[in-house]
Order: sequence, then C-alpha cells, then structure tokens
Amino acid sequence: MKVALFITCVNDGLFPNTPRAVVEVLERLGHEVVFPTQQTCCGQMHLNAGYRQEGLHLAQRFREVFSEYDVIVSPSASCVGTVRDLYATSARSLGDDALADEFEEVGRRTYEFSEFLTDVLQVTNVGASFPHRVAYHPTCHSLRVLGLDEAPKTLLRNVEGLTLVEIPEEDACCGFGGMFSIKNSDTSVAMGQDKFAHVRATGADVLCALDNSCLTHIGGLASRAKSGIKIMHVAEILASREGAARV
Amino acid sequence: MSKVFDTELPFPTLAKTALADAQLRANLAHATTTIRNKRLKVVGELDDWEELRNAGAAIKDYSLDHLDELCVELEKNVTAHGGVVHWARDAAEANDIVVKLVQATGVDSVVKVKSMATAEIELNVALEKHGITAYETDLAELIVQLGDDLPSHILVPAIHKNRSQIRQIFLDEMGKSGLAAPADLSNDPQELAAAARAHLRQRFLSAKVAISGANFVIADTGAVVVVESEGNGRMCLTLPETLISVVGIEKVLPNWQSLEVFMQLLPRSSTGERMNPYTSIFTGATPGNGPSDFHLVLIDNGRSSALAEETGRDVLRCIRCSACLNVCPVYERTGGHTYGNPYPGPIGAVLVPQLRRGQRTPLEDSLPYASSLCGACYVACPVKIDIPKILVRLRSEVVDEKRREHPRDPELLSMRVIEKGFSSARLFQRAIALGGLVGRLPLTTLRLLPPPLNKWSAARDAPLPPATSFRSWFARTHPEENISSPAPVTSTAAMVHHHDALHDAKPGHVGSDVAGREGVLSSISTALGTKGHTSTLSSQREYRIAGTLDADARRGLLKDRLVDYRANVVECDSQTLASTINQLLVAHPSQSVAAAADTPAQWLSEIAATVHLDEPALSVTDLDAIDSTLSGCAVAIAQTGTIVLDSGPHQGRRALSLIPDHLIVVIHDDQILEVVPEGVARVAANSTQTWISGPSATSDIELERIEGVHGPRTLDVVLVTSSL
Repeated sequence: MKVALFITCVNDGLFPNTPRAVVEVLERLGHEVVFPTQQTCCGQMHLNAGYRQEGLHLAQRFREVFSEYDVIVSPSASCVGTVRDLYATSARSLGDDALADEFEEVGRRTYEFSEFLTDVLQVTNVGASFPHRVAYHPTCHSLRVLGLDEAPKTLLRNVEGLTLVEIPEEDACCGFGGMFSIKNSDTSVAMGQDKFAHVRATGADVLCALDNSCLTHIGGLASRAKSGIKIMHVAEILASREGAARV
Repeated sequence: MSKVFDTELPFPTLAKTALADAQLRANLAHATTTIRNKRLKVVGELDDWEELRNAGAAIKDYSLDHLDELCVELEKNVTAHGGVVHWARDAAEANDIVVKLVQATGVDSVVKVKSMATAEIELNVALEKHGITAYETDLAELIVQLGDDLPSHILVPAIHKNRSQIRQIFLDEMGKSGLAAPADLSNDPQELAAAARAHLRQRFLSAKVAISGANFVIADTGAVVVVESEGNGRMCLTLPETLISVVGIEKVLPNWQSLEVFMQLLPRSSTGERMNPYTSIFTGATPGNGPSDFHLVLIDNGRSSALAEETGRDVLRCIRCSACLNVCPVYERTGGHTYGNPYPGPIGAVLVPQLRRGQRTPLEDSLPYASSLCGACYVACPVKIDIPKILVRLRSEVVDEKRREHPRDPELLSMRVIEKGFSSARLFQRAIALGGLVGRLPLTTLRLLPPPLNKWSAARDAPLPPATSFRSWFARTHPEENISSPAPVTSTAAMVHHHDALHDAKPGHVGSDVAGREGVLSSISTALGTKGHTSTLSSQREYRIAGTLDADARRGLLKDRLVDYRANVVECDSQTLASTINQLLVAHPSQSVAAAADTPAQWLSEIAATVHLDEPALSVTDLDAIDSTLSGCAVAIAQTGTIVLDSGPHQGRRALSLIPDHLIVVIHDDQILEVVPEGVARVAANSTQTWISGPSATSDIELERIEGVHGPRTLDVVLVTSSL
C-alpha cells in the first residue's frame, strides 16, 4: 500500500526519530512510504487557540498538499484529531458547510499510525522487540477524540520482551493542552506533576504515548526531576529490534 | 453582608492562589475522586445510558427550539392552579420582583433552598439591602454562608472544605445566628449533619416565606420539580405559607413524560446515586398541602442572547448536574473560586461568557482558555454538551474581538507570524534548520527559554532540537519517495468575517421600558428567528420504558435498592401487616404515630402507641412532637429504590411524611414497578408528589453520603406480599 506520511511540524523539527520509526515499521511490513515535502503544520495550535482564520488557512493548505493520496498516516493522535474533527467543526462554525464536507473527506483518509496498523492493515504484532517495563499514557486525543483504547496496548503487548504496566488514573489528562501549557502554565504543571507521580508509581523504565507533545510536557517535568525515565513515542518502540534474537 | 464574586482578574491569576493551597488541593482531589467513582458505578448499571443521554439532549433541544411557546404554556398552567408567574429580563428585575413579594408578606427573613439561579442574580444581597435576611438551608450552602465564604461547586458549594474545617465553622459561627453547635461537636459527618439539623429545625418550622429554584418546570402541567437530598428542600417547599421559585427560562420541559428521562440522568450524574433521597413535585399553590401563595419568577438574564447562538443553545441544555466539574482535571486542581462566578468548572467556562455577552472583562475572556480540551466533560455530560467544541468557539470570539479592539496585541501578531511561517514549506524548513543550530549546542536539554516560553521552562525542561530534521533525513535516504510538488495556492480564509455581526450583541435588554413578560418573550422569539419552532419531539423512546421482572424479582430488587440506601425493609403478608407495623413502632421506639385520616383501620389495629389521625389537620408543632408517621404510597420504583407519594389514599399531606423523625411506608406488590418510566406513567401528572429514596441524606461533606439530615432519619418499609 502506498502511504503518504504526515509527519507533523513538532516531529519534523524536534522528534525526527518518531517519523523515522514510522517509516521503518511500514517499510518492514512491505508498504511504500512517500513524503510530500510541501507539508508543514496542520493548524491545530491556531484552531484550538481561537485563531480560526489562520488555522483554517493551514487546514486548506493541508488538504491541498494531501489531495492526491488515498492514505495519509501520522504519528500524532492530536494532529489526526484536528484533521478529522476540528477542521470540519471550525468550517461549520463559520457557516461554510461545503468546506466542512471537503474537510471531512480528507479526514476519512487520515489515520493515526497505530490505528492504521490495527484497523487498516489488521496488524497487531509488528515483530518488534523491546525488553523493558513500559507505561503507556492514553492521551486525550487518542482516547477521547479518536477512540483508541485497546488497540495501541495490544500492539505494545505483542512486542517481544515488553512488560506493559498501567498508569493509575491513566485516562486523566497530563495537562499539556497546547497553548494551555503556556497560558495556564501553573495549572498545566500541577496536572503534569500528578500525572508524572502516577507514571513514577508504575516503576516503568519507559513512558510512551501516541503524541510527542504530551510526552514533551511529562518528559520536561521528568527531566527537571532528574528521574531517568525514558520517554518514547509508541512508534519508536514498535520499530525497536533491541535484544531480538538474531536470525 | 453576603459575599459575592466581584473579581475581574483572569483565571490564571486566580489559579495561582488556589494551586498554592495544599489543603484545598487535597480536599478537592479527595472529593472529586469519590464522586467520580460513584458516578461511574451507577452509570455503568444502566445499559441504556447512551439512549438516555440522546433523549435528554433531544428533549432539551426541542424545548429550547419552542421556548417561547412552552413558557407561555407553563404560565397558563401555573396560573390555572393558583400560582402567579412573573417575568424578569435581568437580575435587577428579578431581585426587584422577589424583594417586593417578600415585603408584601411583612416578614424580615426567608428560608432558602439551594439555587443556582438566585446565586447568579445575587438575590441574597438584594434582600439584605431591604433588611431581609435569607437563611440558606442546604448543608453546603449553610457552611458557605456561616463561613462568610463563596460557593465553589454547583452541587456541593462547600466542596473546598473538609470535615475538620466544617466543624470549626459550625463551632465558631452557628451561635451567632441561631442555635449554637454543641461544644463537644466532633468532625464525624453524621454529627455535623445533626448539628445542622438542630440549628435549622425551628427556622423551618416557623418560616413564613421560602425561596427556591427548580430543576425542571413542566409546560404541559405547570409542575415545578425540585431535586434534593437532605429534606431542607421539602421543609421550604411544604411548610411556609408563601413560596417563591426563581427559575431560568431554559429549565422548561415540554411534558410530564420527559421527566422519565431526566430523573434518570440527573441523580446518577450529580450525586452518583440511582435516585436522590427526595424530589418534590407540585403545581401552583397547594393550600392545605403546602404553600397557599406560590410565585414563579422566570428569569432571562442573558439566556435569550445565548439562545441566538448555536453554541449558546447547546449550553442551555445544561441541567446543572456538575458531572463535568467532577471529571475536570483543571477544576480538580484549581477549585471553583478560580472561575470567579457561581458557575465554575467546564460548564461555567462556557456558560458565563455566553450569559454575559457584551460584558467582557479579563475574567470572562480567560474562561474559555481555562481548559486543556481533554474532553472528559463531554464524555460525562448527561445531555451531551460538547464543551470542548464550545470552548474553542468561544476562544475564537475572544480572538476576533482582539482583532477589532487590539490589532497590535503581541499574541495576535506572533500567531500571525507563525502562521506565515507554516504557510511556506521553504520558510518552515529554514526555521527548523535554525532550530537545528541550537541542537548543535553542547547541551542535553534546555532549561531556560525566552518569554513567553519561559512559562514553559519555569518548571519543565525543553527538548533540544536535533541537528537533523526528519525531512533532511528522508530527502537523503528516500530521494525517490520525497515528493516535491509546487507550493499549494490557498486563498486566505475569506469566509471569516460575515459571522462577526452576530457577536456585536447588545448586552441584554436592560433599560427597555417594555414590560418583563413581553420583553422576555420577544427576546426569545428574536433569538429563535425564522429557524425556530421547526423541530418535533420524537415519539420513539429508545431507552427502556418497561421492566421484565416478575413480581417476586421486582420486590427483591426494590428491597435490595432500599437497603442499599439504609432503609430498613421488612416483608409480611396482609395477615401479619398490623403486627409488623406495631413491631416497627416498638422497635424505634415510638410513643406516638401520625397517619392520614383515611388510613385503613387494619393497619392501625395493633398499634400500642398513640395514633394521631390528621383530622383535623395536625399543626407543625403537633407533628414535631410526634415520633413516627405511618403512610401508604402511590407506587414504588424497584430499579432506583424510590417510593412515590402523591398525597393520595392512605398518605395524606406532605408534611406528615416530613416532620416526624421516623417514617414507615407500606407498599403492596401491585404498587411495585420496575423502571422509572413505568413510575412516571402511573402517577398523575398534576398530583402533589414526594419521591423518597431512602432516609434523608447528604453528600455535602467531602462528597461522602451519610444518612440523616432534616427529613426522617429512619425509613422503615413494609413490603406486603400477596403470597408468602
């Protein structure tokens, strides 16, 4: 299958290991991965912060850049949620139903990476190996916007050597929230510290999620606390062959 | 002087104080965790919860779409039953109406049932200005009032206080305005509730005027529905001569049947109970069985302006259950005071800016941003208000306002620059290449960022940008798959401004000389516009409307549910009924028992205690001196452990089942129904009702349910089986 990568601005500039892992897994599974170079940002930050005009401009840009691809895959639940949900809602809030319909059409072609593996490719074991104790944080967008609950956990459980541990109150928001993390930084940090305490309580070596933005927030607190816990995107774990038996 | 919210400070500033209060955070975390788990448990019991949510949203949508018609129908039915309906366009008009009504009675104090509407209009302050003292009677409101504090939660206004703090307030303050708390008061919630009972008892029994809100008002019958737990509501709604109910226009429901949905949604969502201990339902004045003078004050106060907006209309569905507060991670950390008004939490953040359109302060502008958009509120909302969507929409209104009023605003300018950067892959690539230069610094992480990002780095490290971006790596490793196409040409969104006109809303209708009634109705009609009145109410009920259990199983379920709420349940047959009743009285122990005049002689035949039949009517003082009441009922609902009294045969007046501290209810097999819709269908829509689910109770102390406040503290239920 030919897959167009939507990498997201944050991953491109800050966390290139995540999209590299996506490329590795998809190619390992025998799929063709292409990267439309005109892509930049989906506009999530603008749309969520109330900058509809700017956000919808970026939304239309996204739609045009990806107009010719049947399958768009992205390692960010919140960006996929933006494309699938927020684009059309924003257009409708301006009374532009035709534009909203167009956005819904591109939304139907856009998949979060783990969701693409389990729902489209019907793969639940990607042949990865990662001998560590791993905590998975279901981010708000993955859980409540995309409805990804068991599927990512199944992928992780099927990784050789991996022990998946559950975070207490796992469905609670970590407090990142995009511009919320700056505009309401005190509340954001208070939420993050509680989340981090719960992560710590699991005794996990590695914390993973489907959104690097949330992980940056929890990881920023973990790093400040010199906790030593490793922060990784789920895709990076699924790409790992660490400790795999050599064939 | 009653304290009211008077801050214009933005949410983040107010949050700082709250977050620094470790005790507050511990109290909130404990209380919200408790109620969250309770809600999940009782919601999980219903396999038709989603259907009920859909029905709740649909009925509310219909009501709002027909709001002017339904308000007029409500007025007609309340008036036909001896009530008087008043209309208030804003808070000042509403307060004026209530003050004049109280003044006309000649009293200088009133008792109040907890009401969000009266908190919204700051009624207590208006009454005080005219020398009228308003005594709050809900336990949490009492705590707030005695402590000269502000409410911080819709359901439990004193959620920010723990039991030790409440004990101290009671010890320090109760004596100043009435019966003092016992000197040896402990912080046991049961004892605290008992102190509140004693403190308020005489006030209830002697009150001439009461003021309440309402959870629902029903257009096709004129019924007012007040949902509560402690019995303070029943005291206020039953005993005084004059009752004034202040109700937002959006509380109207089209018909009696719709209650079958909301009486399932509300209790489970708010207190996390299958059914709240007490619900009072009455229509108009109820002389002889309640107030002889009833006034319904319908208030607009920004609601019709909200109605004009799609998002506003969604928000007006709210039934004030506070489930969204209890699941909100922001509320859990900051508490309710941070929202700067009586409506806190996610619903407050979307409701307040819409009720106060045109009155923007830094506080109102900050509320839509007081959320991480995590979506937990939407999942919990019993009427499916998509709060995150509305928050985003309200944010865009704040930004649009900024564009007009403050075009040089630094955030606005930077967001535009960032958008420009994202609008060109070339510019974006340059930006991340610059970031890559930072990544070459001999550091592992960034601990200090320039403003405004210093707000990030104050507590969080930031990742160091990598030297090589993904796109450079991919271009190098996958030259064939690197699809360069010409830059897309997108029109800058031209569709943005046409909507702005809608937001230049005039603030309310203040100062207009049109009478209140015409003013409110015409505002609603204007808000509904040509699109209004088009929806219809579906006759399809997708949720459970009938039970499946046989009589034995129904009785078993009812017993189980009653016992769960600490009622004492005994089973007997008609032969042993009389002796069973006597045994319960002896066990209590009771010297005296009240009963309706038409109580079957057989029920009374073996009673050793003194029987006081309610003929001639027993006075409040008489009833207060009587130990127990014996009553029949109209129906019982097994699923929720609810006994419905409708002032019908063998029950008598509402005061009988309220004042004595021990209540015995006799239920026959043929009165037991399984589910709430069956109960609603069986009871006469216009009867004066009390729904009882267990003894009086409260969850106002740390959101833990304890039995025994103002209503009967002991509930004995006799299930009379046809065959045993």
